Amino acid sequence: MSATVSSARLRMLFALFAVATLILSARLVYWQTFGRGELLGRATDQVRSDLVLTAQRGIIRDRGGAILATTVELRSLYAIPAQMTDREKNDLRGSVATAIAPILGEKAEVLRAAFSSGAEWLFVRRRLPEATADRIAALNLPGLGFELEPKRLYPNGAIAAQVMGFVNDDGVGQYGVEGRYDAILRGVDGRLVVEQDPDKRELALGLRTAIAAQNGQDLSLTLDLATQTAAERELAAAVERERATSGSVVVMDPRDGAILALASSPTYDPAHVGSADPEALRDRTIAWTYEPGSTMKPITIAAALDKGVVTPATSYDDVGYATIGGRRLSNALGRAYGPTNVTQILERSANAGAVFVASKLGAHDLFTYLRAFGFGERCGVDLAAETTGSVRPLAEWYPVDLGTIAFGQGLSVTPLQLASAYAAIANGGTLYRPYVVATRRDADGEHRTAPVAVRRVISDATATTLRTMLTATVDEGIANGASLPRYSVAGKTGTAQIPSADGRYVDDAYISSFAGMVPASDPRMVVVVVLERPQSKLLGTIPAMNVFKGIATDALRYARVPPDRP
Amino acid sequence: MTVAQAVRAPRARRSHQRPLRGGHRPAASRSRAPASWEVRSFVVASLAIVVAFVLVLLYLAQATAVSAEGYEAQRLAAQRDELRRQNTLLEIESARLEAPARIEADAAKLGLVRAATIYVVTPEAIAARP
Repeated sequence: MSATVSSARLRMLFALFAVATLILSARLVYWQTFGRGELLGRATDQVRSDLVLTAQRGIIRDRGGAILATTVELRSLYAIPAQMTDREKNDLRGSVATAIAPILGEKAEVLRAAFSSGAEWLFVRRRLPEATADRIAALNLPGLGFELEPKRLYPNGAIAAQVMGFVNDDGVGQYGVEGRYDAILRGVDGRLVVEQDPDKRELALGLRTAIAAQNGQDLSLTLDLATQTAAERELAAAVERERATSGSVVVMDPRDGAILALASSPTYDPAHVGSADPEALRDRTIAWTYEPGSTMKPITIAAALDKGVVTPATSYDDVGYATIGGRRLSNALGRAYGPTNVTQILERSANAGAVFVASKLGAHDLFTYLRAFGFGERCGVDLAAETTGSVRPLAEWYPVDLGTIAFGQGLSVTPLQLASAYAAIANGGTLYRPYVVATRRDADGEHRTAPVAVRRVISDATATTLRTMLTATVDEGIANGASLPRYSVAGKTGTAQIPSADGRYVDDAYISSFAGMVPASDPRMVVVVVLERPQSKLLGTIPAMNVFKGIATDALRYARVPPDRP
Repeated sequence: MTVAQAVRAPRARRSHQRPLRGGHRPAASRSRAPASWEVRSFVVASLAIVVAFVLVLLYLAQATAVSAEGYEAQRLAAQRDELRRQNTLLEIESARLEAPARIEADAAKLGLVRAATIYVVTPEAIAARP
């Protein structure tokens, strides 16, 4: 009997084992076939690491090689609160917060709350200054670590902020050179797939698939840091002194269109772009327009000289105003100058004289020359957000427009357009496309930007004649405040009314400007200064000329330009 | 069966199967009789095992060395990257110190003023000197 029972038990036991074996076998078959991928994935994830090799953003330098923008990896502090314990597993979150709070300039309670928030991993502070990171690292606190993150740095602070633009938190260039050349500066990220040990070290004999990152190209700008600094210093001082709404400066090499300095006020610090006034982000030299006023008179006279309808000696009788299209256009303050030749029109900045010259020239030719000088279209400078300005189509001109446009009212320009036009006068009549990036350097070497001569606008003889007339304007005329010792200066002041929303002009507010070139005998730089609503009002050209003098004095010294006068 | 028996037994069997021809042979020539296939197999197998063992040892030694060198290479690469980072930081600091705006500000603090006039001596003027 007992043998029978035992045999039954054995059979049951056998059956049990058989079933268990079948189940296990089925399970094994499942994991080896259908579930293989999942298991393989889990195993692979434990050792394999798929890393992005971040491309290094290119460096931006000035024409002398000084660094204007570069990228460096800074340490970001992270915390793993669960690891903030001592050997006895006592909670140290409070003491860690207390220890680092004064270094970070943060309240200990805030840090303690962050550590107790339940987060497994959190950034405490990103991209710390080196000294701060060193001080925290020296404390050797548990549960804290560092991770390197790239940061764009501008060693010269706010200098050339609008020209440079900035890089946002996603690493994308915005505005200026950073925005315009983002694709070139950014480079192409690479990829690295490796197997790692538990300490996150790459296994030399493990899998390794690498696609190398292509670093961004380095750019050298035409900007001269010394000239740029002088331009910003002088502009900031004038804007502050005159309580001007805004200001802008362009310094250009007329020989090839290379931009030496672009200054714009208000400005901002790229290190604190998040708190910057949006208006300060705008580069007013290319993205803001104004009615230029009398700085346009040389353009009108250049057209008339080139067309041969007047000469410097052509004269008229100035009675203080001119009548055109049934409207009376007066000189500033209604002054009557009597017999006046074309050179004296510039010296006295006579509106009636400009109308006289324009009448000789005719609307069609004035319009043609304005467009030839580049007004009403983008200069094509290699910066983001350039605007066109406005020269209305000839068909929309009223008869009076011939007169007002002759002295710079009724059209709008950017400071850069005006500088380009003056550069054409300075270099003998050729309009160059302004440019900011002189060279870019990649793995294949250096690529130099070739200056682009857009067109010949006026003849060399006309340009020479006009420079002589503009030199007289500075030496003996209204722009005498711009004269420099031992250097000849050619230039013209401008005081323009500001159009209001209702189509009229704002009362008692002006835009004051000066456009000049130096040395006038062989111009090495063209400088345009614009001040919006200076408190000096009609005398606002004086601070504008002072800005010119300050910039030109420094720039000529730095550029080692020898004086052309005894 | 011991190894000695396994080696000896085939020799005895072979002497029966292949009797000596041509009468007497010197003792030296008898002692150099070719080894049986079992012996050769044993020797070859042993050698193969030894060679395989040595090869595995060599591989392991190489793999260990490569891994160690790999770790060293990573340490050196990290050191290189850190030195490059420090170099970039120094370049930035240098650029900051050389910035004209900073120099002007420091010069102003020291009470320095701009030269009112800079005299430029031209080559022509030098050549004209007696």
